[in-house]
Amino acid sequence: MDSDEEDYVFFGTPIEREEEITNRRKKAAAEASGNLRALPPWKQEVRDEEGRRRFHGAFTGGFSAGYFNTVGTKEGWAPQSFTSSRKNRAEVKQQSIFNFLDEDEKAELEGTLGTSSQFDTFGFTAAEHARKQADKEQKQRPSAIPGPIPDELVLPASESIGVKLLLKMGWRHGRAINDSRASSLYDARREARKALLAFASEDAKAPCPADEPVEEPESFTVQPSDDDARSSQSLPAFVCNPKQDLHGLGYDPFKHAPEFREKKRLHLLNDKQRGDRKTMSIKDSLFGSKSGKAAPGFGIGALEEYDAEDEDIYAAGYDFEETCIEDDEEPSRLGIESKQPSRLSIESKQKVVARDQGVLPGFKVASVSDYQLERFDPPVIPKDFAPHHKFPGPLETLKKLDVPSPPEVPPPDDSNLKLLIEGVAKLVARCGKLFEDLSRKKNQSNPLFSFLSGGNGHDYYERRLWEEHQKFGVQAKLLLDGKLSPSMQKMTAESRGKLLGEKPLERSSRETTSSSVASGEFQLQFNLSDTFKKPDSFSKLPEVAKPFKDDPAKQERFEQFLKEKYEGGLRSTGYTVASNMSEAARAREKLDFEAAAEAIEKGKRGKESMVSTQPLDFLASGMQFTSGGLEQVENGHAEDLVTKKMYPRREEFQWRPAPVLCKRFDLIDPFMGKPPPAPRARSKIDSLLFIPDSVKVAKPEEVAITNRDVPAAQTGAQMTIEDVAEEEIEIVAENVERPVDLYKAIFSDDSDDDVEDLNTKKVEDPEKKTEVATTALNRLIADDFLESLGKELGFEVPPDTPYSTNKANALRIETPNSDSGNAKFSTGTYLNPGNETAQDGDSQKNKSIPVRSGGYNSSKHTVGLLNMSGKVNEDKFAQEDKKVKSPSSRQRNWSSSSSSDDERSRKHSKRHRHRSSGSYSDPSSDDREHYRSRSKGKRERSSREKSSHSRKHSKHHKHRSRDSPSRSHRGSEREHSEGRKEKRKRRD
Amino acid sequence: MPCVTWNCRATRAMGVEILWKNLESVMNRLILVVNLTVLLSLNYTLTAWIPRVYWKAAHWAQGLKGRMLKTKVAPSLAGLARPDKNKSNMSSSELPRKEANVLKGHEGAVLAARFNSDGNYCLSCGKDRTIRLWNPHRGIHIKNYKSHGREVRDVHVTPDNSKLCSCGGDRQIFYWDVSTGRVIRKFRGHDGEVNAVKFNEYASVVVSAGYDRSLRAWDCRSHSTEPIQIIDSFLDTVMSVCLTKTEIIGGSVDGTVRTFDIRIGREISDDLGQPVNCISMSNDGNCILASCLDSSIRLLDRSTGELLQEYKGHACKSYKMDCCLTNSDAHVIGGSEDGSIFFWDLVDASVVSKFRAHSSVVTSVSYHPKDNCMITSSVDGSVRVWKT
Repeated sequence: MDSDEEDYVFFGTPIEREEEITNRRKKAAAEASGNLRALPPWKQEVRDEEGRRRFHGAFTGGFSAGYFNTVGTKEGWAPQSFTSSRKNRAEVKQQSIFNFLDEDEKAELEGTLGTSSQFDTFGFTAAEHARKQADKEQKQRPSAIPGPIPDELVLPASESIGVKLLLKMGWRHGRAINDSRASSLYDARREARKALLAFASEDAKAPCPADEPVEEPESFTVQPSDDDARSSQSLPAFVCNPKQDLHGLGYDPFKHAPEFREKKRLHLLNDKQRGDRKTMSIKDSLFGSKSGKAAPGFGIGALEEYDAEDEDIYAAGYDFEETCIEDDEEPSRLGIESKQPSRLSIESKQKVVARDQGVLPGFKVASVSDYQLERFDPPVIPKDFAPHHKFPGPLETLKKLDVPSPPEVPPPDDSNLKLLIEGVAKLVARCGKLFEDLSRKKNQSNPLFSFLSGGNGHDYYERRLWEEHQKFGVQAKLLLDGKLSPSMQKMTAESRGKLLGEKPLERSSRETTSSSVASGEFQLQFNLSDTFKKPDSFSKLPEVAKPFKDDPAKQERFEQFLKEKYEGGLRSTGYTVASNMSEAARAREKLDFEAAAEAIEKGKRGKESMVSTQPLDFLASGMQFTSGGLEQVENGHAEDLVTKKMYPRREEFQWRPAPVLCKRFDLIDPFMGKPPPAPRARSKIDSLLFIPDSVKVAKPEEVAITNRDVPAAQTGAQMTIEDVAEEEIEIVAENVERPVDLYKAIFSDDSDDDVEDLNTKKVEDPEKKTEVATTALNRLIADDFLESLGKELGFEVPPDTPYSTNKANALRIETPNSDSGNAKFSTGTYLNPGNETAQDGDSQKNKSIPVRSGGYNSSKHTVGLLNMSGKVNEDKFAQEDKKVKSPSSRQRNWSSSSSSDDERSRKHSKRHRHRSSGSYSDPSSDDREHYRSRSKGKRERSSREKSSHSRKHSKHHKHRSRDSPSRSHRGSEREHSEGRKEKRKRRD
Repeated sequence: MPCVTWNCRATRAMGVEILWKNLESVMNRLILVVNLTVLLSLNYTLTAWIPRVYWKAAHWAQGLKGRMLKTKVAPSLAGLARPDKNKSNMSSSELPRKEANVLKGHEGAVLAARFNSDGNYCLSCGKDRTIRLWNPHRGIHIKNYKSHGREVRDVHVTPDNSKLCSCGGDRQIFYWDVSTGRVIRKFRGHDGEVNAVKFNEYASVVVSAGYDRSLRAWDCRSHSTEPIQIIDSFLDTVMSVCLTKTEIIGGSVDGTVRTFDIRIGREISDDLGQPVNCISMSNDGNCILASCLDSSIRLLDRSTGELLQEYKGHACKSYKMDCCLTNSDAHVIGGSEDGSIFFWDLVDASVVSKFRAHSSVVTSVSYHPKDNCMITSSVDGSVRVWKT
């Protein structure tokens, strides 16, 4: 070859590339032939079919650029369908699963994918299938008649004529006939009638070919109307349950919990019904608003809560209508459908349809139908019929029956006087002679009431009184005839015990004999069984106990209330009787009841003591519950006038504008140069506590009443008990007055001491202690604040005097020991509010042993009332005291800063304003003054003590040593209380 | 006006009749008369100082504290301030009772509508969390202010129309720039919804009244976000606030209208005994109109705290509804829960006029500072402009 080349002359340059290619080809061929196989593996090279080296090693460049070593296409893995949408938008290829399947997979898939007659709900596919089958068979069959004609002539009827008709009318497979009903009721009815006619005709023909697979018409929801009852009877109607959920076929989520199925269905039904009426329901479900009222048009953000502020307060009365409609429709519907959950009988269906159909579009069914059951009028109740039993009144009313009737007297000319006389006579007849006496006493100076003491109109009054007595007497007699007096039937624990031969408990027997009403109080601790019996006094509750006579329902509730209050040792939690009343109304009524109960109590007390004028007060003070006495009416008017006069009321306070504010308003700061106001120590809790302040004001007085009765029960160990009572008054007062942080600050020291006292006492005589503690604790029960409110609403709180007498007694005991105390004590008593009972107290002080007079008795009842209210654990008390301790120190600091004086006085006045809204009596305000002044003294003391020693424990000891250095033989608690008394004297 | 006529006669007698045709207001006449009388008595020529009357009227009037003004003019002025029977009857026909425009655009209830200080524009705000600026006279919607997170309950604009303040259910007070519509500042601090908001005279302080029983004053000048003053002597929600040059007045659900006098550092509390819904000052600043929830509007004398009059007949039991006085203080205007507007005579409290303005609760009424024009807003989503 070389020699050949030398022979030829070459022109131009040889084309290198081609040669290379050939070389490469050669090489490749050589490789293929195995020439290069001799090379060691690391020298061998991978080349493509053209002999080019494609792989250069990982560190020398990897694959050659391009697509050659990849999938082998220019596009690489880019999907075929991808086209840049910039140029040609429309060219988007449809992808299907077949694009991604291999050949064998495709083949596999081809065979299995198909429709199954199993899921053929309406039989349409099956019908098609059958028709195809028939066609096929037809073809296969050797036909007798040659040619294509028979095929066209004889076809298996895959569709009935009815279906065809329906199709012509626009009906499609898979749709219910009555689908269009929603659009227009009229159209739907017409269509349905047509369809049914078609069915009927088909039925008459009935030449259904054997191979027609499913009776299609029957699978529709038939809508029978009144006029085609015949045809619908012949057709069994199936309810077609369309699949509306997202569960798998045949999956029943309620399989094991069928009770939820009904619930769900009801829910759906409700939704549908509401949807028919209003589209509002959707919105309801979207925002789960409490009232379901939201302003239309805009909602709040997804992340925000939907709370009360967002409710549309302006949309009024809308949903009320809605509920009303639902109420009257649902029972019937649900009743029907729950009976046949899956299949509706034609009758019931008809009923429902009739209900719907009787209504023209745009109208709704009247809630009151014309059809009414025949009803008869209730029997006419005679006018004089009293729907309630009158329990026998006090014995005196019965006695009065025998009194010969005074002569008939014409009523006085003055109609007012006549009214007054009649009213009083009624009341007297009802409440007993006592009432007369009291009112006479009270109205001695009032010329209007002169008829009571034989003045003008006395005769008429006598007559009226007699008549009223007659009336009540007759009623009482009737009652007595019917059955025995309830009090006689009642078997008390004592009587039962007597029957059984038990030895009656010492205390309880004494209690019941001395004062039946207060019996509950001390038995609470000792014989619980008695707390569940009705105290005797209430079983013979006279007419007084019916203050709500004109409202029988209310009276009933009141009796129930009394029962709950006195009978059960444990007060029922819910006052459930009047469920239809609003919360506010109920609360008010309860207040009324409390007040009334107390008034009754007072009335009784007055009866026993015959000195106090209390019983009248509840009638005179404008209470709501009096049964229409004259005084009340007058008072009502007076009150109206008062309120009118009261408002607007102007008050002025100091107010300190911020310096910046003054600057911005371009004014001179009126407080310029003065020290900045004290920082406010008002926390949120304080301000919360501050609000109910007005409500609780009346408490201390009550407490005083409660506690001053404690010694009355005791016969032995007087002195200690007196002291205990003293202690208690203070403790409880502190507990009750606590909401006012000022008081808190002031009393805190004392409460510390008291806790210690209590502890020591517990050891000494636990029995008395528990009693006292109970009385105190009962006062703390939240429920009782209602009573105090009731008091504020117009109840005369019994005057302060028993308290003072009590004190007097205590002081009296003390006198022999300390000379200086003697003088102080006398001033203390004289400074007390000077009414008659205070003088009683004065007289009592001369006797060395305290005397329980009417004053004590009278207040005892209250204790009876208040203390029956339930079990109390004593620990709570101690806790209460501890609780106060912690804030008190802070408060003390606050109050000590003198610059905040203005602020404080302001607060006082605020409180006063609150109080003045209720009518409180003088003694109570007196009492408050007393507390305030005491508080001052305490503050002094507390600061003094603080400076001397910081530890609480040492306080007590020091105290003792200071106050009574010589009296070491006495009990520590005794001395301590005396120390307090001394303090008070100092103050007074 | 007997005094004026007397003067007229007097001046006519002096031969200055021509002048009266040119002079417009009563005040001008009076001053002119005073001047004329005085100067005539000084033997000046009339023609010489007619122009001076116009230029120096105010100065003259001030300078002439002598017997003329005191004895003759002052009583007549007093008569002007308190409209007599004849005048109120005359003006009752001028009450804005014809619907001039309906401003629609709010979705849902409109909670307040307020004129600006010169009465050319008005602002409305509502449950759709927007504040809208309108030209009520042409019925055009100008601007939308959106930033509130909940309903907007009240809005107020500065006297120079440059800033807005608004408040609402999101417990914040927004301080806006009117022209750009941007929020300049937000004042946070109220613990509850804010019911009312007002600028002071210099637009340097915003005072807000909140559900948290407090009035708070916010400084617009500094950048602090803390309130410069918290007044929390109220016992219940503060519903409405009014400002004078020296006082902050708040009306609360606790039944009190409390006046906080910055100048002397006193708080004066007038207890009305009924929850106060809205308070509004009379234009002479002597009286407070307080709308109470017992369906009555009460007129209080500010200096004595005396109840001057009660206006009844409308229904106002559960919604916050505004009340106001006409610009002449001759009539009291109040909305009703049934969508009616009531006009009462200020003095004898008789219902002068009453018509149904809206289909639902009338939330707000505002009266034009000068003209006989009124805007009302309602829960039905519309703001209506009424003219004579």
